[in-house]
Amino acid sequence: MTGLFHFANLVRAGIRDNQLLWMLVAGFALFPLFTHFADLPFWNDVAMRIMLLGVAAMGLNLVLGYGGMVSFGHAAFIGIGAYCVGISQFFGLSNGLFHILLSIGVCGALGLVIGYLALRTTGIYFIMITLAFAQMLFFLFVSLEQFGGDDGMSIDRADFLIIDLYEPLRLYFLIWVALALVALLLMFIVRSRFGVTLRAIKSNEPRIEAMGLVPLHFKITSYVISSPDIMHWTRSGEIMIIIILGGLGTLAGPLLGAIVFLLLEEFLPLALGAVAPAYAENWMILFGPLLIMVVLFGRGGLIGLLDKAGFARIGKRKMAVK
Amino acid sequence: MMPDPVLELRGLNKSFGALTATSNLSLTVMPGEIHALIGPNGAGKTTLIQQIYGALKPDSGQVFLNGRDLTGLSVPERVRAGIGRSFQISNVLMDFTVLENGMIAEAARRGQSFRFLRPAFSDSNLIKGASAILDRVGLLDRAHLPVGDLAHGDRRMLELALALAASPSLLLLDEPMAGAGPDEGQRMTEIIEALRGTVAILLIEHDMDAVFRLADRLTVLVEGSVIAAGTVAEISQNQAVKSAYLGDED
Repeated sequence: MTGLFHFANLVRAGIRDNQLLWMLVAGFALFPLFTHFADLPFWNDVAMRIMLLGVAAMGLNLVLGYGGMVSFGHAAFIGIGAYCVGISQFFGLSNGLFHILLSIGVCGALGLVIGYLALRTTGIYFIMITLAFAQMLFFLFVSLEQFGGDDGMSIDRADFLIIDLYEPLRLYFLIWVALALVALLLMFIVRSRFGVTLRAIKSNEPRIEAMGLVPLHFKITSYVISSPDIMHWTRSGEIMIIIILGGLGTLAGPLLGAIVFLLLEEFLPLALGAVAPAYAENWMILFGPLLIMVVLFGRGGLIGLLDKAGFARIGKRKMAVK
Repeated sequence: MMPDPVLELRGLNKSFGALTATSNLSLTVMPGEIHALIGPNGAGKTTLIQQIYGALKPDSGQVFLNGRDLTGLSVPERVRAGIGRSFQISNVLMDFTVLENGMIAEAARRGQSFRFLRPAFSDSNLIKGASAILDRVGLLDRAHLPVGDLAHGDRRMLELALALAASPSLLLLDEPMAGAGPDEGQRMTEIIEALRGTVAILLIEHDMDAVFRLADRLTVLVEGSVIAAGTVAEISQNQAVKSAYLGDED
């Protein structure tokens, strides 16, 4: 009861960005309990996909939301990570910990190279260059016949230390741990000296140079941090939509966006099927305008809407103006 | 014996196509002095500041700060070498509070901007350093205001505070009174006056009352060349300056 009372007070005062993030993360920890008792195991899969996209979106949000750099190439990093696992399995290496370290290392190194080259440009040129790199990598891997080529590569669930990942809930909680770690890491980074300087660069680059700092160093670093996170640019676009839907430059936004995005993907076809069965396949007709409406009226995505409705408080800006 | 100059420009040249913005320009700024750079619009004052600051590369010539050749260095390298600057249009971090602006500058001054874990805005050392920075320009009582809520004059003050944060040996001030009301201009003049002797200042300013009150020495620029240099008394008697520049106001 007191917990509930506390929660009600929290809502009245306005939930803060980081509080909302941890509520969502905690929600994912408890979710399997719900699916178990409600006998809806299928929804565990949906939750896993939400968490995975959420992690990717949180990574990209560091670059896009906090750093103000529109990178269209981020899907490439997820793809590289996946191929790191696939190719090492192809050569008989099945240790999950090794896969993780290899993926982080390769993605970080690629992020450094791509970031170093692409970040010399800004605006539309930056978007085009990151897109070009992503497409280059996409076609490179598609052309590798021995690794599946056009059909893609299927990955076995690796042996992760002593955890058998064929046990569905274990995979679920491994993903959850990754989500919680990324959330924790981002929360620290965003508030750190590095994080506030990155936000300041987005706000006013010449002023940061006038403080004797080199903006490029911060941008590349954020790019490398965010990259160790499916290869085609439409996937990058999807992650970007998730961030904008949830709330650009907020901690909880990307995860909230991933939840709503994937739930809409699940429910819209069902809802449309119930009303007009013939059009169930064309659910995107509703999906598109819905996203546009949130972005237009939300101005700051779903978090922005919550903020307007008085349920959330983003940062301390609101408190500062008394 | 004369002390060594803080800033020394040797034979700077810069042209944009057929337009000569800086022509064989040499100039020194001595320790602790306020050196005003005046001249009609288009004389190449801001272009010169940009070359000292490193945002523009001179076609030829050299820039020395405390005897060190800065000519090939980038903007951040020159800032770390000791150049602070305020811009013609005020240039502060709009999405942050006044105190946060100071804290980001303080973190940069301490070389701590690449730290990833501890929260920056609750760090007591940064708060202390930032408060000292803000106190110098009288903004401490507005420390928690978002910069967007500051009056124009206060933003200029904040910008000056940020330029001073790194304890530069040379301060470049590009029209600090621009757009300020009479009271704000007066306040800015007093604060610059109070800096005299602590930091060498190269000042561009159109407000002649402020220039005559502040400047220890004046350099008059016309079409990219120095036509006169000296104390306020010397310059105000100079016939060439009167006809080329001050005469315009009659």
